[in-house]
Amino acid sequence: MYAWKMKKTRNILPNEIVCILTVLATTASAQWLNYPAPGTPRLPDGKPNLAAPAPKADGKPDLSGVWSVNYRPYNENIAADLKPGEVHPWAVALTKQRQENLGKEDPSSIHCLPFGPRINFATDAHPLKIVQTPALMVILGQDLTYRQIFLDGRDLPADPNPDFMGYSVGHWEGETLVVTTAGYNDRTWLDYLGHPHTESLRTIERFHRENFGHLEISETFDDPKAYARPWTVKVTGDLMPDSDLLEYVCNENEKDSAHLVGKASDVKPIEVSPEVLAKYAGVYSGTTRLGRAIRFDISLSGRELWSSRDGAKQQLTPISNAKFATPGGAQFEFVEENGEIVALQLYNLAGDARLPRVSEGR
Amino acid sequence: MPNGYRRRSWKLLCCLALIASCAFGQWLNYPTPGIPRLPDGKPNLSAPAPRTADDKPDLSGIWEMKGRPGETSLLGQLPGPAESANIASALPQGLPYQPGAAQLLTARKAEQRVNDPLTRCLPIGPVRLHTFNSPKKIIQTPGLVVILSEYNASYRQIFTDGRPLPLDPNPSWNGYSSGHWEGDVLVVESNGFREGLWLDNTGNPLTDAAQIRERFRRVNFGQLEIDLTVDDPKAYTRPWTVTLKQTLVVDTEMLDYVCLENEKDTQHFAK
Repeated sequence: MYAWKMKKTRNILPNEIVCILTVLATTASAQWLNYPAPGTPRLPDGKPNLAAPAPKADGKPDLSGVWSVNYRPYNENIAADLKPGEVHPWAVALTKQRQENLGKEDPSSIHCLPFGPRINFATDAHPLKIVQTPALMVILGQDLTYRQIFLDGRDLPADPNPDFMGYSVGHWEGETLVVTTAGYNDRTWLDYLGHPHTESLRTIERFHRENFGHLEISETFDDPKAYARPWTVKVTGDLMPDSDLLEYVCNENEKDSAHLVGKASDVKPIEVSPEVLAKYAGVYSGTTRLGRAIRFDISLSGRELWSSRDGAKQQLTPISNAKFATPGGAQFEFVEENGEIVALQLYNLAGDARLPRVSEGR
Repeated sequence: MPNGYRRRSWKLLCCLALIASCAFGQWLNYPTPGIPRLPDGKPNLSAPAPRTADDKPDLSGIWEMKGRPGETSLLGQLPGPAESANIASALPQGLPYQPGAAQLLTARKAEQRVNDPLTRCLPIGPVRLHTFNSPKKIIQTPGLVVILSEYNASYRQIFTDGRPLPLDPNPSWNGYSSGHWEGDVLVVESNGFREGLWLDNTGNPLTDAAQIRERFRRVNFGQLEIDLTVDDPKAYTRPWTVTLKQTLVVDTEMLDYVCLENEKDTQHFAK
């Protein structure tokens, strides 16, 4: 019998409280299977050749595989590229209210319902596995949910049953699979911040497998009842060769939601002078408790201190001269030794982390 | 669980899952392509089983295990296959329990399914996937078979790329499944189950020591038979086998049933 090799991987450590619950649950799935998949092109040393051409099936690109989607910063904020006036006022107000409640009503991350239109950007569901057949493609999530995309030429139903995953049909435009989805219910959020959508939402995804190891996904969100214009978010997927999904069952032994308390406004900001804030600017980099590399860029903008991680920016609210709250409820503290700022200490539910300062701010 | 006639009495606790199943009220009716038809346009379900390009029987399709007339899935309440109430309903001698398994079954019955994974909206595992009273969809590709379930919009994978079972699998609800063809029969071996799975609504157990074998045979276009052998020395003194007969469902589609949606039952369970 083939002897299985398991290896620990280092998963996720987001800095938002809404993500933290995810992490607690996700660490349970921290082992990865390691079976050499047949049909994978290999280099002379046996490693997968991720730069090889995309495979084909029935004359079309075959998108099948286990994909890790680089969802930042859109998992936090799907509307990161929209201008302020482009989100309808009711949707702005609802998003703010959800943030004030620190995301504890998040139906998917907190209350274990399917991710719906957020599936491509959902930390908990990652990685995603695409299984493509000529007439049907399914996408499997690690959270054990699936979605179907019909490729048999059918039209979208005129009056679909509102559903978490919606009803998806796809067709090929050259080498690109274009998938249109309608019939979403309105029970899911589009991101951790809580951007809402209505049953009018339509998404158009364009999947293009650039080569064996890389997938480009551009997804257009069109929901005129909540957003002034359609907008398109682009992310990339990296093939996870010789691996597979491991079950992540959100409501298994779920004891978190009962303990979620507090509001964003419980944090009482204090005044900290720009001179003090300026001391903290710089790059802080290290590894989380789970061993995942993590890097924060801290910068001063006017009188405000901002952090940026993988393009996801958030304002830091001072609660003491050295301690700051993030919008999601985590805390950052800058560590001073001998008059020098030497590290950034993170406090959150997923475990604390100390990130040494690797360079000073600009 | 959106439906308008939920009962909150603890006496009905045991049938919550079944009541919730009634919520599948609407059916899509897109004509399934590739169905052999009789002259009057009706599906010819006794036509030969279809085959794939690599000349294997194609198990793909939407399947449902329907009860024989008069059968109910639990305590005489709703129609459904008797095996969903008791996986061993067709075995005259019942199951060969180990003493611990018999005690566990008694305890589960006494607490009226309050800790049934189905009651708690948790995954139901591969055996109940076959007997659960709603359709499931088999998607067969050369190296992988996927079974989609309406329950929790969930799925199960069966690798058919020749890989062996893992020696030390990560314990999981679905286990780890690998299949190969013996003639026209897909033989699927599975291990790696987590402790605490139920095989049916009665609470017959499956432990982490279990290995199961399923033999999938598409008898004709409209019928699929699955011989299920459970070899679980922690729960049963010897392996046992039952046959789970599936019927093709045509011109329809899957509709998801998300158990946790608007779930308000568990807070009312009597202690």
